[in-house]
Amino acid sequence: MKDINMQNPKISAKNVQVYYGDNHAIKDVNVEIADKTVTAFIGPSGCGKSTFLRCLNRMNDTIDICRVTGEIKIDDEDIYDAKVDPVQLRAKVGMVFQKPNPFPKSIYDNVAYGPKIHGLARNKAELDEIVEKALRKAALWNEAKDRLNSPGTGLSGGQQQRLCIARAIATAPEVLLMDEPCSALDPIATAQVEELIDELRQSYSVVIVTHSMQQAARVSQKTAFFHLGNLVEYDDTTKIFTNPDDPRTESYISGRIG
Amino acid sequence: MYATSLAQFTKDTRHMLPMYVPLLATLLLAVAGYYFAAKRAAASAGGDIRKLAALPSQYGLFTALSVIVPTLAALIVGLGFGGLSGALPLVLLSVAGLGFLVSLYKVSPAFRARTHAETWIKIILIAASVIAILTTVGIVFSMLFETRNFFSQYDWRAFFFSTEWSPNFRGNSALGIIPLLWGTLYISLIALTFAVPVGLFAAIYLSEYASRRTRSFAKPAIEILAGIPTIVYGLFALITVGPFLRDYFAQPMGFGDSASSVMTAGLVMGIMLIPFVSSLSDDIINAVPQAMRDGSLGLGATKSETIRQVVIPAALPGIVGAILLAASRAIGETMIVVLGAGAAARMSLNPFEAMTTVTVKIVSQLTGDTDFASPETLVAFALGLTLFVITLGLNVFALYIVRKYREQYE
Amino acid sequence: MTHKSLLIADARTKKRNAAERRFKAYGLSAIVVAILALVMLLVSVFGTGASAFRQTYATVTVPLPEDKLDKSGVRDIEVMKKVTTIGYTKLLNEGFENVVIASGIPTGLSRKDIGGMLSKEAAATIRDHILANPDLVGTEATLDLLMNGRIDGYFKGRVTLESAALDSNTSPEELALAQALKDAGIIHTKFNWAFLTNPDASDQRPEAAGLGVAILGSLYMMIVVLVTSLPIAVAASIYLEEFAPKNRWTDLIEVNISNLAAVPSIVYGILGLAIFINFMELNQSSPLVGGLVLSLMTLPRIIIPARAALKSVPPSIRDAALGVGASKMQSVFHHVLPLAAPGILTGVIIGLGQALGETAPLLLIGMVAFVREYPAAYTPDAGLFGEASTALPVQVYNWTQRADPGFVERASGAIITLLIFLLVMNAVAIFLRRKFERRW
Repeated sequence: MKDINMQNPKISAKNVQVYYGDNHAIKDVNVEIADKTVTAFIGPSGCGKSTFLRCLNRMNDTIDICRVTGEIKIDDEDIYDAKVDPVQLRAKVGMVFQKPNPFPKSIYDNVAYGPKIHGLARNKAELDEIVEKALRKAALWNEAKDRLNSPGTGLSGGQQQRLCIARAIATAPEVLLMDEPCSALDPIATAQVEELIDELRQSYSVVIVTHSMQQAARVSQKTAFFHLGNLVEYDDTTKIFTNPDDPRTESYISGRIG
Repeated sequence: MYATSLAQFTKDTRHMLPMYVPLLATLLLAVAGYYFAAKRAAASAGGDIRKLAALPSQYGLFTALSVIVPTLAALIVGLGFGGLSGALPLVLLSVAGLGFLVSLYKVSPAFRARTHAETWIKIILIAASVIAILTTVGIVFSMLFETRNFFSQYDWRAFFFSTEWSPNFRGNSALGIIPLLWGTLYISLIALTFAVPVGLFAAIYLSEYASRRTRSFAKPAIEILAGIPTIVYGLFALITVGPFLRDYFAQPMGFGDSASSVMTAGLVMGIMLIPFVSSLSDDIINAVPQAMRDGSLGLGATKSETIRQVVIPAALPGIVGAILLAASRAIGETMIVVLGAGAAARMSLNPFEAMTTVTVKIVSQLTGDTDFASPETLVAFALGLTLFVITLGLNVFALYIVRKYREQYE
Repeated sequence: MTHKSLLIADARTKKRNAAERRFKAYGLSAIVVAILALVMLLVSVFGTGASAFRQTYATVTVPLPEDKLDKSGVRDIEVMKKVTTIGYTKLLNEGFENVVIASGIPTGLSRKDIGGMLSKEAAATIRDHILANPDLVGTEATLDLLMNGRIDGYFKGRVTLESAALDSNTSPEELALAQALKDAGIIHTKFNWAFLTNPDASDQRPEAAGLGVAILGSLYMMIVVLVTSLPIAVAASIYLEEFAPKNRWTDLIEVNISNLAAVPSIVYGILGLAIFINFMELNQSSPLVGGLVLSLMTLPRIIIPARAALKSVPPSIRDAALGVGASKMQSVFHHVLPLAAPGILTGVIIGLGQALGETAPLLLIGMVAFVREYPAAYTPDAGLFGEASTALPVQVYNWTQRADPGFVERASGAIITLLIFLLVMNAVAIFLRRKFERRW
């Protein structure tokens, strides 16, 4: 695998192994993720891309039998260091999930939840501002501004996912992790979210797991191909999809495996 | 009217013999019918059972059931009307005989005996299910009937609105329900105040924080509390909790010197309700989708923040329902209050005083020496009906709340 | 948020983590409170009740002179029955005094007082023994006789020398004599099997009170409950789960059943009183009526787990049966029901356990009375299970209403017995569930 030497990578992972009980799910992954870029993780089902994604914000901590070894640094700080509190980490690294999961609260309260618990606003006016900014950035403001107090669950699928994105960026993260964010959405909503991702990369380092190669090709600048727990190839997106180095990558993108 | 004729009928030994005769005859006819029908079926096909529409044993079953089911039905109908005294055994015999003959007559190779036998079985199954409705009807009807008798002797307004309860076997009793309701509600309030926080937090800890080992030990331990009969709790209140509260709290603080008190009964009832609240809350909390917790944790919330601000609000309708069901249970409880709260009908704010409840008085009025037809005894039915309506209302309301708000995240 | 180092915990996060720890502590303390309450309950009950299983007896040689017991010399039981317990009491007192004198223990008590240390039940014991063995008349008999409640209480710590001084039923001198006799081996405590077999005893004889009648009554009732509620509940569950169409009537039945499961048990007592006793004029306080009332109460409590057990059998089993041409009913009775049987059985055992411990409905159908004779299972007069009886939990309640403090020990001992029965039943239920449980 070609070594990409990045200047100041946002995230750098070295020798990461993940075990689910006895199952060796992630085998010795090394990767560097750039800032203000969209990086896509692709690969067949069960190859470990979501598992690795969840290591980046230590969501795997919530699973008892999961064990992570190796080093993952964000801004040159090892996030698995004993001094790091995952609570603080997750304000810096936001996550959007596969199925939209808004809280059974109003749209406003959904977005305001993160800033409130992290104490990001000193008063209501500041909180209102944060909520509006987040909703604007998530391209939901115009549809939501007149119904901020209505339940978040009353929105359509695509709107709900944008709400979840707004919720995630309201804590002013620097990294945004997205785990197959469009797989539960219809094509129109998918297109809207993909457009949004393109805008988001101007402010955040975005890592997106997707099972759709076309989507990866559309939205990302860098792509990493995972297979059976290994990071097989990592390069510019155009290179991966037109002229990959590794034969396994070639098999996957041409549809012979996966 | 029905009662006397039925009672006379069954006790009158002249009728005893005829009564057991049709029942025994039915049994014999059923067994004989099974045998004969099976034989006849096999014979009608010339020995080759493949020509039959059903197995010979199924023809037998059909005949047996054709004897038993109609006879049982006739018996129930007959008992209900009571007055068929002399004729009933004859009716039963003829029904059984008819079933025997008609079903045997129907035996033929083309007759689908199994289907018809299964129809009889289905009737039995449906009848069993209907007993549930009959029970409710019986409860309501029996209490309504005697309550009507009661209200014909005692003013209903005095019953529902009077604040005095002092029955007097010589007559001129004051039978107001209000002091009893006061005691019931006060004790239930104390019980819930203790049981709801403890049960809820125990459920939260067990489902969100506890390791598998802790859960495997703590959950059964709490379940044991649920399996203990209420008489045991009552005795515990009487011999341990009551004197303890009196000696260490009521007397030193000058609140009273009675071992039986609202506090005693309330505390012990609270202990009894802990597993009830805990297991209901556990189910409700587990029903909140994990995706919601992940969403909150992903934003950097701590577990307690997630529980307090996301999980519990999502589970709130279910929790409210659980509290209502626990309240219903507390209101209907008898033995703990009989042994722990005393018999004094009193309306006081002091929880260390003895106060009595609706259930205690139902027991005391029905097990006392007063004449059954007197208002002092009949009032128990009115009390029972009121209790039934209150608990039913709470249960239905709890179910409604849970159903209505469940749609939130479906 | 600007580039704040993740390695430094900021103040707000520290506060939030502290709140987290507090919250977790609340949860843990709730569990501790619940378990502590359980422990206190069990300690209290076992502490007061364990002593019911030991009882104080004295070995007494009783003279049985013929001129007092059977002047005719014919040994005709009917004639001998004419000698009442009062006659035997005199002989008892004489025999016990002889024992005391023979032991050499000094005492200033009169023969009557010494005899009073024995239980009032003792005279009946010796009388029954002689009537069963009339040849003993003319000789003497050495028996273990029950000591009275105060002496028994002294050896169990309930009665002290100070309290004896104020007590009209005993005195410090009697206690001193009892202690001396115990040291000499004449008085001893032994395991009290009689507690489980004796019938109830009157107010003044807590030492003789036993659970025999109560256990028998509870047994009869459980038989009635099993025989009536099991078939009906299983039949109803099968119908509701497998055959019932989804319409208003079925909904009504289901709502009814879940409501009935939550109705207070005392309401079932009222129902029993009104229908079984007043309308059908069955015998008050009989195990038949008690069993029928408990059956009605237990029906919904069996239907609900039975339905769950039927529901848990996967549709593939039913489809497989139908696929080879079985009818719906055959698939249910030949395939689904046997597979659901363990779950149904567990529900039945647990339901029976709940019925065993119920008290309130039984009080209302008349079981408050003092029952002295063992109820027979069938008599022509009273019918099947028709004789007056009592039940374990009702016996507990009765004993709590008695004045003599010796009955507190009896009530707690009865509860220990009840809890042991329940423990066994639940253990059997859990064992069955584990043994036959299938993971689909």
